[in-house]
Amino acid sequence: MGVLSIGVFSSLIGSMNLDFALKLADAALQKGHKVNLWLSGNATSLVKKDQKHLKDYSTGEKPLKALLEKGVEVCTCEACTLARGIQKTDAIEGVQWNAMHWYLAKIHESDRVLHIGGE
Amino acid sequence: MRLAVFVSDLRSTVDTLERLKAEKLGIVLVGNGVYHASLKENGKSSPLLDKPASFYVLSEDLETRGISASEVDSRVKVVNYGDVVDLIFNEYEKLAWL
Repeated sequence: MGVLSIGVFSSLIGSMNLDFALKLADAALQKGHKVNLWLSGNATSLVKKDQKHLKDYSTGEKPLKALLEKGVEVCTCEACTLARGIQKTDAIEGVQWNAMHWYLAKIHESDRVLHIGGE
Repeated sequence: MRLAVFVSDLRSTVDTLERLKAEKLGIVLVGNGVYHASLKENGKSSPLLDKPASFYVLSEDLETRGISASEVDSRVKVVNYGDVVDLIFNEYEKLAWL
């Protein structure tokens, strides 16, 4: 089996690209692959905990927690996250905080890389 | 190079694809990109489908937009997320997102 690293810049709810990334990560896990997920830019809004799941709205917290439980390594860009006023105490437990070099290292050791840009 | 390009939008992607050269090219239509697989303008299908590539469209994104498989152009293969994972690992090596 292989290693897939996904980098996402798209925003929570504002763009369906983030939903796609979470579903693709889950599908890859089900096929037995290892998945790394890097969040940058507006995608860092995904790590804020206590998101209210409104009817007919996409939601990130529940699928993200499920991926964490299944062993996906999730890392948020510390600078981007803090710049958006999200502190570590606000964040979903299990998400790593680091800088771009985390993503580059994961890319280096991955079989496949999908980078999803921002809006 | 075996390149899979994810097209997630309907607007400005065709010209970008013109500049991409690959020994084997796959175009995976997701999000609003799925409209390339079904929309017709003045009776003509999307110019994207004229490219020398293999075409795939994500079934879940068709369904959320009310597009049935029967409306999909015959050149495009309907796939699910599991199929996309297999394409990524088995058919292509580099991935791009438009």
